[in-house]
Amino acid sequence: MSYEVTVEPTGDVVEVEDGQTILDASLRQGVWLPFACGHGTCGTCKVQVLEGDVEIGDASPFALMDMERDEGKVLACCAIPESDLVIEADVDVDPDFEGLPVEDFTATVESLTNLSPTIKGLRLRLDRPVAFQAGQYINLRLPGVDGARAFSIANVPSDSQYVELHIRRVPEGAATGYIHDVLAEGDELKLSGPYGQFFVRKSAPEDLIFIAGGSGLSSPQSMVLDLLESGDTRKITLLQGARNLSELYNRELFTALAEKHDNFTYVPALDNPEDGDDWAGFSGYVHEAAIDYFDGHFGGHKAYLCGPPPMIDAAITALMRGRLFEKDIFMERFLTAADGAEGASKSALFKKI
Amino acid sequence: MTATKLNLKDRYRLLTRDLDWEYSYQNRKDVFPMEEFEGIKITDWSKWEDPFRLTMDAYWKYQAEKEKKLYAIFDAFAQNNGQQNVKDARYVNAIKLFLTGVSPLEYQAYNGFAHVGRQFGGVGARVACQMQSLDELRHVQTQIHAMSHYNKHFDGFQDFAHMHDRVWYLSVPKSFFDDARSAGPFEFMVAIGFSFEYVLTNLLFVPFMSGAAYNGDMATVTFGFSAQSDEARHMTLGLEIIKFLLEQHPDNVPIVQRWINKWFWRGTRMLALVSMMMDYMLPNRVMSWKEAWEVYFEEAGGALFKDLARYGIEMPAYAGTAIAEKEHLSHQTWSIFYNYTHAAAFHTWMPDEREMDWLSEKYPNTFDKYYRPRFEHWREMERAGERFYNPTLPMLCQTCQIPMGFTEMNDPTLVSYRQSVYKGERFNFCSDGCKDIFDHEPEKYVQSWLPVHQIYQGNCGGADVETVLKDYYKMNLGVDNMDYRGSPDEQRWKQWHNLQSAEDKLKKAS
Repeated sequence: MSYEVTVEPTGDVVEVEDGQTILDASLRQGVWLPFACGHGTCGTCKVQVLEGDVEIGDASPFALMDMERDEGKVLACCAIPESDLVIEADVDVDPDFEGLPVEDFTATVESLTNLSPTIKGLRLRLDRPVAFQAGQYINLRLPGVDGARAFSIANVPSDSQYVELHIRRVPEGAATGYIHDVLAEGDELKLSGPYGQFFVRKSAPEDLIFIAGGSGLSSPQSMVLDLLESGDTRKITLLQGARNLSELYNRELFTALAEKHDNFTYVPALDNPEDGDDWAGFSGYVHEAAIDYFDGHFGGHKAYLCGPPPMIDAAITALMRGRLFEKDIFMERFLTAADGAEGASKSALFKKI
Repeated sequence: MTATKLNLKDRYRLLTRDLDWEYSYQNRKDVFPMEEFEGIKITDWSKWEDPFRLTMDAYWKYQAEKEKKLYAIFDAFAQNNGQQNVKDARYVNAIKLFLTGVSPLEYQAYNGFAHVGRQFGGVGARVACQMQSLDELRHVQTQIHAMSHYNKHFDGFQDFAHMHDRVWYLSVPKSFFDDARSAGPFEFMVAIGFSFEYVLTNLLFVPFMSGAAYNGDMATVTFGFSAQSDEARHMTLGLEIIKFLLEQHPDNVPIVQRWINKWFWRGTRMLALVSMMMDYMLPNRVMSWKEAWEVYFEEAGGALFKDLARYGIEMPAYAGTAIAEKEHLSHQTWSIFYNYTHAAAFHTWMPDEREMDWLSEKYPNTFDKYYRPRFEHWREMERAGERFYNPTLPMLCQTCQIPMGFTEMNDPTLVSYRQSVYKGERFNFCSDGCKDIFDHEPEKYVQSWLPVHQIYQGNCGGADVETVLKDYYKMNLGVDNMDYRGSPDEQRWKQWHNLQSAEDKLKKAS
């Protein structure tokens, strides 16, 4: 038994299985709804039921007030339909979001390469082509590891039979340890995707800045390659941060692209170059390289940030001091289990930063 | 995938902003004459993000439901003689302070938001301000209704609006809002919308409401819940205005920083009243003022200013002084009111032994060292039948209008005292923060209506304090004022609860 849920204002229709939540079904079918905690405590996924019956589920009384329950509001992350529904969600119809459906895939390891001393390049061949937007990610399941791990896709969407992932070894990380130490060519893995709201707003006319740190080069790599492949003529600047020369991977690829395309600039930055690196490029953090390159003025751009939380944090401050604000900044934070503890009190000033 | 229906954002835009029109035969500057004089630069009002999306139609429905529930509780409270169920009649003095000091501010907020809701060139901001203005009017009305029941059974409530405009300590909150409302529209929004409603609201509103909850005051608690569902909207408006100003033009950043400095300091001075309420006036204490300050300003405010740093905004000037004051503020303020209780429309008292121990525990660095000996001395005087009242009138700070009783933070035995000279006249201040505010706009603050000066100048209807209190303040002398012990409030409370002393019973029997 399944029910049809119609999502206003977009008019998308989602098929929800028995016992499945509205949010889970929507995301799996490529209908993005705002959400955060996923278990009924934050209230981000509040939607209005316009028609039909629904079981409210385990929503916290603080996240969904009694009065709101009376008005037919539910939290999509715990609400289970009991009939066909029409719901209204606070979704902007982002003209650039393609809403590609999430599907399950079986993948075979095509190749494993050492991109740097700490980062592996993993190329997976899928059982059938995948449709995704450059910048999105997949969830990968690994044998003996609980739950799925999210990795951004580094190849272009036109290379649809494959996904290429850049995987940094997380100290004592079960999943990344498995990939670095155990995984071999020919192994089979399960994955699902694509997920995420990190993609290029192609309809926005502004020039683009990409700031990548560590294995956070993956999404920007896909996005930049995709833009250049489609003949985009806006100015594109990629700033790549790494610790030292051996960690600065795929440099040759971007140096060659910069020579070939007048509208593309590549700015690598090393924050801790080693003596033998003989480094003539920018020395310092990647956000400092951005301030240096743009002379501290970022207004009139769209910026895309991808990498570890401290890099994202520093880059946001640099961009905002240079007068580029929240609505023009898009980001994908690479969180690991070690980042979980930093949940110190946060103000409500920003929505997504 | 075709859009079959507008999303909430677009629908709200059509229902609000699109009601605006272009000015074809009037100069835009004549239509919005207050938009530029403060130096704020707005380059594009269309960048305003509506902080909440509420139409009048939905607003009435939602608020009507709240009112229905709220007034049902008020009725039940009155019918069940809820006034007898508060923890102790001393608690009611916190409510007297709220009704005379805070509720009229809701009315001022209503006026202020209605005013700026006319002055902004951007229709999104105008609509949001008008909506908040209605909330504030609802708040003042429901507060008066919530507390009117106490007026039947306790003293000091009868002329709250009249007193708010005249009484010396009520000039502290009154002048705070007068200052904001007589500023330009953008400063008003930073002062009230942001600094007051977002940064400081948890230190003003929440302590009164949780104090009510801990002391059996069902009517006030329910009012609090009802208002708090509106406050979420007010906080988002405060955040939007600050982001909007900071993003519109880099020249706005230093202006906004100066306003944040000013209104943070003015706000913390006004919170002195809340600090003594929390530490001294609640028979059942919720948390100490110091604890509340740490949670709501140091932690929550710290996170906010960390985020604001991305715009180049720094912690308010004198935040360090305010943090140091958390150890002293409530004790010094309560001392001032204990001194001048004969001139106040509520009662004070010396804490009992158990309450002093609580203060010692909550303030291990300061209470025993600086305040307990003084309070024990006053208690001894009271036992000897010489309850101390200070017969002089205090000098007031020209900016915050609080009597000059606060001390230096590096020497809590030395009164903090600052002066400025403007056009040959000397003006006095309680702190560097208040002096800075004056020095930046002396022509504004030389006009301060200082209650003590006004009494001495003969503008308050009498030559002696008693006449001023009785005729100008409309206090019932010997009833509204003086120590709680021996007050009619106390006598009534004891009668309700059969707490007559053995001595009284004997007297009645004979």
